[in-house]
Amino acid sequence: MFGYIKIQKSELLVREYEAYKSVYCGLCRQMGRDYSRLSRLILSYDCTFYAIFLMSLRRSCKEFERKCCRFNPLKKCSYCKAEDDSLSKSAALSVILAYYKLIDDIADSGFFKRTACKIVRPIFMRWRKKAALRYPELDRLSAEMTEAQKLAEQDINCPLDKAADPTAAMLSSVMSLEAENDAQKRIYGQIGYGLGRFIYFADAADDCEKDQKSESFNPFVGIDDRKSVIKNNMSQALAMTYDAYNLLDLVDFKGIIDNIITKGLPTVQNEILKKI
Amino acid sequence: MKDPYEVLGVPQGASDSEIKKAYRELAKKYHPDNYNDSPLADLAEEKMKEVNEAYDYIMNSRKNGAGTDSSGYTSYNSYSNTSSHYSNVRIMIQQNRLDEAERILDSETGEHSAEWYFLRGMCYFRRGWAQQAVQYFQRACQMEPNNMEYRQALENMTRQQGFGYGGYNTGNMNGGSECGVCDICTGVMCMDCLCRGCGGC
Repeated sequence: MFGYIKIQKSELLVREYEAYKSVYCGLCRQMGRDYSRLSRLILSYDCTFYAIFLMSLRRSCKEFERKCCRFNPLKKCSYCKAEDDSLSKSAALSVILAYYKLIDDIADSGFFKRTACKIVRPIFMRWRKKAALRYPELDRLSAEMTEAQKLAEQDINCPLDKAADPTAAMLSSVMSLEAENDAQKRIYGQIGYGLGRFIYFADAADDCEKDQKSESFNPFVGIDDRKSVIKNNMSQALAMTYDAYNLLDLVDFKGIIDNIITKGLPTVQNEILKKI
Repeated sequence: MKDPYEVLGVPQGASDSEIKKAYRELAKKYHPDNYNDSPLADLAEEKMKEVNEAYDYIMNSRKNGAGTDSSGYTSYNSYSNTSSHYSNVRIMIQQNRLDEAERILDSETGEHSAEWYFLRGMCYFRRGWAQQAVQYFQRACQMEPNNMEYRQALENMTRQQGFGYGGYNTGNMNGGSECGVCDICTGVMCMDCLCRGCGGC
């Protein structure tokens, strides 16, 4: 369920795109530092968004630096530097979510994929433990999500909202961790809830065909007029995020975050709907 | 209270129309209709209140001190913040308390400074005494030819005078009424045509 929180590149200013890339590269490098070089491969757009959002809220990204890319020594990349642990926290969220995704895959994949997942599990486990040591609450929230998701999916007639709730609630709580007062907590919480719901629906809509064949759980399987149900629910989730987001007064990276919420996410939604 | 300009997201020197535009956009953004039944409705309402207060604050303070759009004296306003011997007089003029300002200025004896002439001229100007105002502005300019504030005031005056005394208003009004008559005539003629056309049908 990764990679849905994307920018719409064509609508970004060049400097904004460069800033976005430098956060992406900065997060990549942070993962290499905190975990291992291999962990850089699980870098996702979603966690890049999380990093940008954190740095915007905390106003902690003050400088960029140009250095060689580890994967391509000929290329020079610019890296953003955070004054606090924004990048570390995002890196931790990346490895923790990757681990729980892996566990999820082991539970409901075919033989080959399951075996492959089992082989890499110790590595992911090690990263996750290291991340959990520093950010126990991120690990706890993710574990709770996996648990709640499993429970929800046992009921084959699980209603849509209930199926989406674990992911949404997890992201809501993760976002709320940043809040300094009650009003912020409610706003961040709603942004997270809407985003989580959106991601869950996007993922479920993407996997719909596949799940139908393999008879795995999917909230959209067996629904008449599937396309409009998906569309309405995704739009609603976005609207929820958007309303809450409007109450924030961000300054840093505002253009990028605006782009993601008002253009990137609707584009993702349209792409998904096109495939159905 | 937060800086009202910051709340509206405009620079201090923004014109009235820029402020209005920013205000409208924010008001649209936080409009209660967008937050019908939303759990965040109260927070949006708070934001709306903040924006309203900021807007009212700016507009009120500008009304008292003549806004950048409504007054031809942008330069005069922008200088009003500079500390000067006559800062209280400047404030009075901005607030249209002309009697008080004149009393203070007139009570001064001896050699007058360029600023004195300028402000005295401004009092006249505000009263509509353009002839007096020009003379005082000219005097101020003669004394300090490099002062932009005085020169702009004078230029503004002479430009207005180029239209004749109070030319701005009368010119516009005449043009306006003429146009209005034309419009009515053509309107009536068109209507006549249409009616006939309809009747013909």
